[in-house]
Amino acid sequence: MHWSLDSRLRMKVLTVLFIVYVIVLSFIPLVHQMFVAQSSWLGYGTGAYAYQSPSYFVLFNDPYDGSSKPNIHVNPSSAPNDRISILEFSDWTSYVDGFNLFNDFNVTIRASVDGKVLDATYTRPGLTLHKLIDLSSDSVEVKMIANKEINAHIELWKWVMTSVNTISTASKPTVIPTSTSINFTFDDQSLNAIGEGQIILSRIPTQIEIWPFEDGFNRVTVDFINSEMTFTVSGSITQPGQVNWNYADLPYVLPIIAIIVVTSYLLLAKRYGQEDKNRPSRTRR
Amino acid sequence: MDKRIKIALAALVVRLVIAPFFMHAGDLGTIYESSAIALHGGNLYSFVYQQTVQMQQATGLPIFFEGYAYHPLLIYFFVPFYWLYTVIAGPGLVIIGGHFPNLPVLVYPWALVAIFMLKIPIILADVVVVYLLAGFDVRKAEFYAFCPYVIFISVVWGMFDAIVAVFLLISYLTFRKNSYALSGFTYGLSTMKLYTIVLVPLFIVRLWRQWKALGEFLLGFFVTLIPVAYYMIVSPVVFWNVLVGFQGSRVMGGVNLYNFVWIIPDVQFDLQISKLPTILLILSVLAIVLLYGRRLPLLEAILAVMLASFVFGAVLNEQFLVSILPLMLLCKRCDARIWVAPFIFIFLRSAFYYFAIPILWTSPYFYDLYFQADTVWKYIQTVGYLMIPIYAVGIAFSLLLLWNLIQVLTTVDGPTAPRTLSRVIRMRRK
Repeated sequence: MHWSLDSRLRMKVLTVLFIVYVIVLSFIPLVHQMFVAQSSWLGYGTGAYAYQSPSYFVLFNDPYDGSSKPNIHVNPSSAPNDRISILEFSDWTSYVDGFNLFNDFNVTIRASVDGKVLDATYTRPGLTLHKLIDLSSDSVEVKMIANKEINAHIELWKWVMTSVNTISTASKPTVIPTSTSINFTFDDQSLNAIGEGQIILSRIPTQIEIWPFEDGFNRVTVDFINSEMTFTVSGSITQPGQVNWNYADLPYVLPIIAIIVVTSYLLLAKRYGQEDKNRPSRTRR
Repeated sequence: MDKRIKIALAALVVRLVIAPFFMHAGDLGTIYESSAIALHGGNLYSFVYQQTVQMQQATGLPIFFEGYAYHPLLIYFFVPFYWLYTVIAGPGLVIIGGHFPNLPVLVYPWALVAIFMLKIPIILADVVVVYLLAGFDVRKAEFYAFCPYVIFISVVWGMFDAIVAVFLLISYLTFRKNSYALSGFTYGLSTMKLYTIVLVPLFIVRLWRQWKALGEFLLGFFVTLIPVAYYMIVSPVVFWNVLVGFQGSRVMGGVNLYNFVWIIPDVQFDLQISKLPTILLILSVLAIVLLYGRRLPLLEAILAVMLASFVFGAVLNEQFLVSILPLMLLCKRCDARIWVAPFIFIFLRSAFYYFAIPILWTSPYFYDLYFQADTVWKYIQTVGYLMIPIYAVGIAFSLLLLWNLIQVLTTVDGPTAPRTLSRVIRMRRK
């Protein structure tokens, strides 16, 4: 080959620098997950927000379908990257003064300046409702504040609760005694984990109803007439199931993929480079 | 019949047969909407701007509506065919919605006719590329004519990078023949998808001190900028926001090493970190133009700048390679088979059945099948399994582009014999 040494060396340096660049960049998701993403509302996609605290992961406004307002997940202590949904507030099936929260309101979402509180503001003529989501170390608080007294029907979903306030079977939707506390147990089918959850209400609602599904219940509906109501949700996994691969594990895997791909490239380049290097000398002979 | 015409006709037939039945609903829907707006004399960018403002107000995030964010001239390649369609089918809407994450509503049978008509300019661009390539080497023309990747992008996806490819190719060929005004004009047309804009400094450096030639080139180029000037005068805020705001502040990613950003759910962080590749892109293009711009043959110089922009630039969509594939085929040092990487990537990033919506929407049975398949796809996507091959293919493609870039740059002091991967592999087989 007649390439000058300088030129070949320059190209080798370029390749090495690029490979270092690829590998260094592959650590960015991990760095973000460990040092940036903790305990702050972060927006992404077409308007989704997520918050990762040491024990809870909360998603607001699913990027695909606008559900999950919010969807509260617990991180089991045995598998901190696993996210097990314990309760989803559904706008699709919730109503305020007869108006559907998903379809009949204009919604704007803002995170507070310090990133600690998410404020979803629902507006329609004559009515403004704030849904404020705030996380502490042991619970998630969903506070609803309206500019006037409202008649609200809020649906809270979990697939599936094995018991609600000690009731474990019902053949039809059942109204249960009203109180400020709703305790439930659940069986997470995807991870075979068993857990428990609690919803503390700031006021006694007008009605609490549970809806049967298969071997338990899949939703609790809370009706209230007031201008304010706070749902304080907490939960834990009492019996860990299998540890599965999870989306939150990806940042740990990407650097390995980067190293495998660049190593394969170097081996291939070396192999073909060697073949190519031999070619002209054979020709000359 | 002339072999050249035969290949061009074969390329045409293959594309015409496939065209009506597939589309990328978001991208073809954008062209459909924009053609209708342009035909009625509306401002192309107002709709996109309004959607963006609405999204930003609703979410409080610096996100953009992904609509028509291209050179204003582009739509006028489609408008005549859209007009012809309306003459046949009437003015009623037949492709409704379809912007992510929504799915389109299609009105049959006219939706298939609209899809077909809107792909004609892309098909014609492909056919012209094939015809021009056949003038150099029939095998290269066959490669482009029947390359599954090119066919997929043009007539299955319905993306118009073939139009960029044909004008870039003509610009190169006319530049070589010293037709600088035509070269500048066709180069200007190739910027309709904006990413070829990185070639401006190269052309200036190549023609530096040849003032007449430079003047002719720039004159041709500036003619294509007249619609840009028009929009800058008529609606500067809207135009700037849609074209410069959106394109300039896109989150990095695509078939490149930067797609890891898709797993970082933090748009503010993503935007900040996306500045890094933009800086590297500017530095790499300047370095290549200044160090190699005049030393390399024109073809290699164009490819070097484009490859550097693909390697270091923030965004590299699946279709971009189509734009330089004809030039890569003409370059003895490049290995055009790298199309395999973005082709694989298409099926990792988008569900294959998404492109078959025009077929699947014809029957409730297929419609139901779509959602069944989509449940599985969304699960795989949500759990993160797809992200692993997506990232691997992204890095692999960046490395293959780098390999080609190095081959092109070493033309300056390299051997006269071509040194392509394919040639080395053939040697091994022998």
